[in-house]
Amino acid sequence: MNSIIEIKDLSFSYDHEEPKKVLDQVNLTIDQGQWVALIGHNGSGKSTLAKLIDGLLTPTTGTITVAGQTLSEETVWEIRDHIGMVFQNPDNQFIGADVAGDVAFGLENRGVPYEEMHLRVKEALKAVNMEKFAAHEPVRLSGGQKQRVAIAGVLALRPQIVIFDESTSMLDPKGRQEIVALMRRLNKEEGFTVISITHDIDEASLADRIIVLDDGKVIADDAPAKIFSRGNELFKIGLDVPYPERLKHELAHLGVQVPKKYLTEKEMVDWLCQYVLKK
Amino acid sequence: MSHTYQVGTPLEEVAVKEVSFEIKNQSFTAIVGHTGSGKSTLLQHLNGLLKPTSGYLTINGHKITPETKNKELGDLRQEVGFVFQFPEAQLFEETVLKDIAFAPKNFGKSEAEALEIAREKAKLVKLPEAVLERSPFELSGGQMRRVAIAGILAMSPKILVLDEPTAGLDPVGRFEMMELFKQLHQKEGLTIILVTHQMNDVANYADHVLVMEEGQLIADTTSKELFSDPSWLKAHHLSLPQTTDFAYQLQQRGISFETLPLTEHELARFLAPKLNQRGKIDG
Repeated sequence: MNSIIEIKDLSFSYDHEEPKKVLDQVNLTIDQGQWVALIGHNGSGKSTLAKLIDGLLTPTTGTITVAGQTLSEETVWEIRDHIGMVFQNPDNQFIGADVAGDVAFGLENRGVPYEEMHLRVKEALKAVNMEKFAAHEPVRLSGGQKQRVAIAGVLALRPQIVIFDESTSMLDPKGRQEIVALMRRLNKEEGFTVISITHDIDEASLADRIIVLDDGKVIADDAPAKIFSRGNELFKIGLDVPYPERLKHELAHLGVQVPKKYLTEKEMVDWLCQYVLKK
Repeated sequence: MSHTYQVGTPLEEVAVKEVSFEIKNQSFTAIVGHTGSGKSTLLQHLNGLLKPTSGYLTINGHKITPETKNKELGDLRQEVGFVFQFPEAQLFEETVLKDIAFAPKNFGKSEAEALEIAREKAKLVKLPEAVLERSPFELSGGQMRRVAIAGILAMSPKILVLDEPTAGLDPVGRFEMMELFKQLHQKEGLTIILVTHQMNDVANYADHVLVMEEGQLIADTTSKELFSDPSWLKAHHLSLPQTTDFAYQLQQRGISFETLPLTEHELARFLAPKLNQRGKIDG
């Protein structure tokens, strides 16, 4: 597969005098069409990494290459056309007086012709299942709906990469489900490369790959099942683990021999039933 | 009590409809319900930010009716501490200590007394001594939230109302925050009223639960009782705590429980003897 983002020896600190770096010698390659979850406790450097990829911050040392172009002052605008960012608070991202106007904002800014703009707004609202709300005022929408409109605004610009920066953390459970389902569809059916920065372990478990950041360093980078089998180690650095791992941990504490391999919820139910029901 | 917004206009909307309930002194009550179920409206009555449009409520001996005047509510506002969502957005002072001392100063304490109270409350919410003279804006999200909570505790409230207090924190931050409320409840004797979507927190911390739906109170019960009926919760689109949900799946496969467990510790204690026995048979 082709790589779409390449990060080499990336370090960053906000204050050059400060010896402790926010990101410290990060090396990563992300393939086109991949769904990558970036996890780590607050202050681990996840959001900083996203801002560096989008050129909102400038690396202290190291390079970032997006879609074949090395990020610099000259290329930043072109690179940003490849990347859409969705942030945490849906209320802070609204500009338009109605839903369609809001989605059109980025296109207007880029001088997209009226006819084309009209078409793209319609397409984007359809992609997030909000076309019925085109004329609605944003204030009347639920959190999940607002976040879907923010995503439509990003999709209208036709990026290749969509970065979700804790975009589900302020939503209620229903809103969260809506957005995770949408992420999945954008990645699996529409072929977007998805990077989701999240604390929600159930959301991360759906990704192709999980990258764990701790104090600015990549400490693990693997498939979700491999990452989760490190159970307790994750909890120690301030992260959650999926439910079956937590239960296994409690059982092991009570002297039960539990499988080392990561089990999904269904596999854990199967495993327990197999032994508890066998008489 | 009921609350209707914009009475007599085309936008009239009944947000809370003929609700009656009682919260016991020093209890830990959770209020759950979907966005738009009326729980925020209900909550804002607890310190008189809103007044009922019909009916009444009595909080710590203060009766609030549709006719109650704002100036009669001064004492109540000191007795009910209200932690809004993202309370760190309300920090403003130069140092952590000054920020916490703001409320007691405002309620008539001297500078020295207010700072003394601030030190005590900072300790209570487990803020390290080293941050007290720093700007609150240099702290981590979890610590900023602790500063905001200490500022509310500095009014010495009897009741603490929490509106999704862990939203946006990382897992360890969430756990530590909930443990802090547990401690305030158990050691300081505060009555806690928690609005949350996190059913795990309801199971782990609350003894009393109120469920709101479309402005009405549809359940007034204990957490054990509420989570013993998964089909009722499903019918109202409410989720189960993870353990209860998992045990429910086991139950449907033929493992029987007397009552569904609420925490993974409880479930593990139930399963372990059955699994260890198997070990002996196999071995």
